[in-house]
Amino acid sequence: MTTLTRQDLNFGQVIADILCEFLEVAIHLILYVREVYPSGIFQKRKKYNVPVQMSCHPELNQYIQDTLHCVKPLIEKNDAEKVVVVIMDKEHHPVERFVFEISQPPLLSISSETLLSHVEQLLRAFILKISVCDAILNNNPPGCSFTVLVHTRDAATRNMEKVQVIKDFPWIVADEQEVHMQEPRLIPLKTMTSDIVKMQLYVEERAQKT
Amino acid sequence: MDELYLDNIDEFVNDHDKIVTYKWLSLTLGVHVNTAKQMLFHYLDHKRKESSPQLHATYLVSGKFVDKGQPGHTVSVVREDQLEDLKAKMSLIVSVHVYSVQKALLKDSGPLYSVDYDAVKDNLKSCSRYSAIRCAGAVPMSTQELQQTEREPQRAPSPELAAKRSGESKPAPKPSTKPQRGIMGMFANKAPAKSQESGKEVKPEQRGDEPMAVATKSKPAAKANPAMNFFGNQTSKKPDKAVKEEEAAAAAAAAAAAAAAAAVPSSCAAEQRHQSSPPEEKQEAAAAAAEEEEESPKDAKKDSRSKTKRIADSDSEEEKMEKKKRRRIKKPQPDSSDEDVIPDSPQQKETREPSPRPEMEVESVSHSHSLPGAKTRKRRRVLKARTFVDDEGCIVTEKGYESESYSEAEDDAKAAKRAPADFIPAKPPAGSREDEKKKSQKKTSANASKGSKQASIMGFFQKK
Repeated sequence: MTTLTRQDLNFGQVIADILCEFLEVAIHLILYVREVYPSGIFQKRKKYNVPVQMSCHPELNQYIQDTLHCVKPLIEKNDAEKVVVVIMDKEHHPVERFVFEISQPPLLSISSETLLSHVEQLLRAFILKISVCDAILNNNPPGCSFTVLVHTRDAATRNMEKVQVIKDFPWIVADEQEVHMQEPRLIPLKTMTSDIVKMQLYVEERAQKT
Repeated sequence: MDELYLDNIDEFVNDHDKIVTYKWLSLTLGVHVNTAKQMLFHYLDHKRKESSPQLHATYLVSGKFVDKGQPGHTVSVVREDQLEDLKAKMSLIVSVHVYSVQKALLKDSGPLYSVDYDAVKDNLKSCSRYSAIRCAGAVPMSTQELQQTEREPQRAPSPELAAKRSGESKPAPKPSTKPQRGIMGMFANKAPAKSQESGKEVKPEQRGDEPMAVATKSKPAAKANPAMNFFGNQTSKKPDKAVKEEEAAAAAAAAAAAAAAAAVPSSCAAEQRHQSSPPEEKQEAAAAAAEEEEESPKDAKKDSRSKTKRIADSDSEEEKMEKKKRRRIKKPQPDSSDEDVIPDSPQQKETREPSPRPEMEVESVSHSHSLPGAKTRKRRRVLKARTFVDDEGCIVTEKGYESESYSEAEDDAKAAKRAPADFIPAKPPAGSREDEKKKSQKKTSANASKGSKQASIMGFFQKK
């Protein structure tokens, strides 16, 4: 069994691919569970051998994919600290924030045959946790929208602004209004530690939602 | 039975926010399933009396049910609020028991399956240890018997697997490859994942259309596979969403695809012979469109397709492609086996990746060389998926790709869609391109698409 280390060309790409696939599914699932969009646009599909709800709306799908496509290079270089899915009410004040904290251990190596199935199991647990999170969260007010923020380490965003990864899909620095939430309640959902990535998911919820 | 189980269940439900199904409980606590069901019932009862925070439950109801005049036995998992309704509808109720208890109100049944998945996987050899279903004849085979059965129908399982994988290829990684190759499996999985993800630069519609395409493809190739049912449902929905003028074509193609499944791969393969990596998707567009046209009685389209191909070949760029064309034809021949389908799939697998990455290509080809059984599976999967993408409302997209390469335009996805717009007076898609470019590309792409059609027919005959 060969051991791949960080120096190997495709290694960062592999992790970024896995994480971006997972984030895509997670975002769709969050939109479904938190009822940001009507459930009619969602359809059962299969990921990691379990059923998940994915949206069929082409523009929504394209938006999410473009977003993650831009995030991927950041994850490859381990520049992305947090990926946050913010749900905002009509006045664009954040109501809920699903924070995925991502970190990669410095001495990465893929040296295990069962690594991928282990990672798959952990990601499955994440997905299950998102599915039942509405037990611990209050309902959102109607007419919510969502956005994705990325917190990066250092000044990685400077590169992003210089080079548009996808044409006509610019990333801008987020407003204070979108980043900070009044009276947040922190609810941890799930943590996972594996050889290739460490991820934590928690929800910050505004105490008063309506 | 002591009362500790109530505390255990309480801990699972309230502290860990888990969904507690009876199967999971029986495997976790090591009790018979019927005991687990009773435990859940008592717990629910207990909690309801105490009026503590709201708990939700799902029930499994099994009994005789007359569905549109057809009597049958039904087993359903329903939420508590639907329980009484269902019980009233059934003619004879055989059993009702608690399926799961959880704090969250479940919107759909997906998580219920996820809950049991890992528990069953961990106890795979003995998952029926606590089960109430028994069969004396169901004894695991000894290793010798296993080897014998493995050797004999070696071909038979692989097409099934291939069909399975084509159906699952879109959203899921391929778990069957993982046990065989650790790291190589990762790269193999990356190939379709990448082709999915690198569709960013591609038109938006293609994304939504790919699952439809996969769905349509899985239909003709469907074996009894529950996963296919997901996609089978998709097929029925998709035609509504397709462009109106193309609905008939898509439906006809889907119907004809079932009948012409053999012709489809070979023409698809023939198409791809003539192309090479940069316009990979365009070729498949041409291929798919080619199949489509062959099946639908629209000769104008056919001619336009073949002309596109001809003009494509005559381009200066095409010289490189021709070299690659020759190389490609040589490559799979050493691997060729009896079926027409197989020699083309290494190409198709390479053509699938929209952004040409030599390392990935090499890997995928060498990868397919290394394991004959897996090679067969991979090829088939790729083959089908491609056809699907083309069959569904994605016709537009596929043609678009093709036009792009021939007219030497930049990634003008919107303008490329103009090509089918010639035949179908559909509304032009909203695009942000200049009109002049559009018009010139329109004409060239129209001609280009005509050129390809004839070439593809020739290829079809040569293949035969």
